[in-house]
Amino acid sequence: MSPVRYRPSDLVDFVVIGAGAAGGVVAKELATSGFQVVVLEQGPYLRAKDFTHDEVDVLFRAALINDPKKQPNTFRRTPNETAKRRQSIEYARLVGGGSVHFTANYWRFHPDDFRERSLLDAIPGADLQDWPITYDELEPYYTKAEWELGISGLAGSNPFDGPRSKPYPLPPMPVKGSGVLFERGARKLGYNPFPAPVAVLSRPYRGRSACVHCGWCEAFGCEMNAKSSTLAALLPLAESTGRCEIRPESYVRKIETGPDGRVTGAIYFDREGREMRQRARAVVLCANGAETPRLLLMSGLANSSGLVGKYLMFDGGLFAYGLYEHMLNEYKSIVVTRVLHDFYASDPKRGFYGGGGLDSRMDMYPATFALNGMPKDEPQWGAEWKRGVGRYYTHTSGILAHSSCLAVEQNSISLDPDLKDAWGLPAIRVTFRNHPDDLKAMRFLVDRQVEILQASGATKIWSDPVEEVSYSRHLMGTCRMGNDPRTSVVDRWNRAHDVRNLFIVDGSSLVTCGRQQPTETIQALAYRAAEHMAESARRGEI
Amino acid sequence: MHGITRRDWMLAAACWTHVLRGQTSSPRFAYFDPATAGEIEAIADTIIPGDETPGAREAGVIWFIDGALAGYDKDQREIYRKGLADTERKRADLFPGSQSIAGLTSEQRITLLKAVEDTGFFVAVRRHTILGFFGHPKYGGNRHSAASRLLGIETATHFQPPFGYYDQELEK
Repeated sequence: MSPVRYRPSDLVDFVVIGAGAAGGVVAKELATSGFQVVVLEQGPYLRAKDFTHDEVDVLFRAALINDPKKQPNTFRRTPNETAKRRQSIEYARLVGGGSVHFTANYWRFHPDDFRERSLLDAIPGADLQDWPITYDELEPYYTKAEWELGISGLAGSNPFDGPRSKPYPLPPMPVKGSGVLFERGARKLGYNPFPAPVAVLSRPYRGRSACVHCGWCEAFGCEMNAKSSTLAALLPLAESTGRCEIRPESYVRKIETGPDGRVTGAIYFDREGREMRQRARAVVLCANGAETPRLLLMSGLANSSGLVGKYLMFDGGLFAYGLYEHMLNEYKSIVVTRVLHDFYASDPKRGFYGGGGLDSRMDMYPATFALNGMPKDEPQWGAEWKRGVGRYYTHTSGILAHSSCLAVEQNSISLDPDLKDAWGLPAIRVTFRNHPDDLKAMRFLVDRQVEILQASGATKIWSDPVEEVSYSRHLMGTCRMGNDPRTSVVDRWNRAHDVRNLFIVDGSSLVTCGRQQPTETIQALAYRAAEHMAESARRGEI
Repeated sequence: MHGITRRDWMLAAACWTHVLRGQTSSPRFAYFDPATAGEIEAIADTIIPGDETPGAREAGVIWFIDGALAGYDKDQREIYRKGLADTERKRADLFPGSQSIAGLTSEQRITLLKAVEDTGFFVAVRRHTILGFFGHPKYGGNRHSAASRLLGIETATHFQPPFGYYDQELEK
């Protein structure tokens, strides 16, 4: 069936804003449940055949992400500073969103992630809270996400994982040199490395072909449809219902409200810059943890708590690298093949909140490695650099720590009072300073990374410096989920406390950020919320 | 299933490379004047010098830089204009009587670039040189498979395990 086209004046059941990891799930679930859906996506509608291995275009010219030249943001550490222009947020800007360009790590949060406040008590200088839902409530939706999207992994191999109702649908991907060395070092130290669960097909699955190990996963779209994005796995199902229209290059500037306070649709600029207005019975906002609060603030909506945009949590973590005697050729195949969660849980004995997950990876493409990959004690240009860079490129492995980030109220997304984007809308202003425990966790983890690299036989080891984070690809916490409308923006079903027919489903509703790698949790929440939306709509309770 | 296959894409890329290589015989820059291009190319070829594998000059990096300053990175023109002027003054200080960066010996060029390597100009030229050298040939650089020869990597688009020594060792 060819995809349906609605007129903006048609009153459709749902408008979904953002066709990414969450929006793709919501659109598919609502359309297959019988509802009319229009998905407004600011980026283009690229298909598998449009994806390239063009590092310049993708990594240095923002082909698939928010372009700093058109969508600049400002940054400051604390609210009493004037924010200056400095790019500090990144998100995928295309149909499929971050699920298209992500590295494809697919981790569940641990059961304790949902109840850290109860387990650990309050943390001074932060606002650590329990989630209003438990791991057990979310578990069926984690499983649903894994089976619908197609995840490769080995159930039971991570001793710290919560209970699972089903194994992964696909076996793990073949291990790479980085994974072999990581596992060797970690086992020697008594740790528990396990095969990485990834959103990449190790075997053909539901009409999609298996990975061919081309090596261009992270930051790129998959031209084989082997990466389990919503673009590859879900949106075709949504469109085939004949009830879902995906409308790309539609940049929403406002969610409209009627006299009764209910939302009535969305106003957006189309690809020609014309202002359009799509009417809908309900709106689902899935625009990511930065654009979602920005749109709510621009719309003056859902903010009786005053917390829209607050509790911004960033991606944290550092790289450590090792040089080895033999060739690894990390430029082949997927990025991560081994993971370790031994330091994931917060342990009060360490004297700080937090921890992290480690994974094996050397994820730099040729130009990126040539620019930034050589250790600082090696020449960075000239004949000697040229003689060394190839050996380093093929003989280096690494470990990335994904570390905790506490929710702090003053860390936020707000509207910049001066700077505008290319559409004339207020630019995003980021206020962010790590809680001291975030930095302590990073220092602790980098020591663990170095230990593992040593135990694995690296002949030389170097690492990133531990410093305040000022750039993030994970944008979380800015429309916090909770039971109390005074201290949260959405309820336990991702419905805005203030507006019954407005739902917010993306990284913004996360109460804590686990140990990064939030995509699976965002998608599980989206499945759960969409099911609730469909049931509520059928009962006339939206 | 229709649409462009990987093979079509590879063929298209190969044709592009062919067309762009043809340009070397009739060079026409979109942004640079020939004298400025010569100076920038001399800097680029010092950053990545030719030896048994191509350097920046042979890889056609100047074409990438020219295209970048004509297009996506046109906001960096002032960094180049001012930076090159400063670097020429530095050259005249260090090597009185010299006429151009291109006219220096390679040892002199290395001395000059070490004297300016912390400037925004050098950082910008190094960045563009590397992007041109390692980027897609459709931008004019990375000619003669310069990047894969320098790094010693295979350029296939499909691979099979084992990928390197350590996973192969594990299989044994």
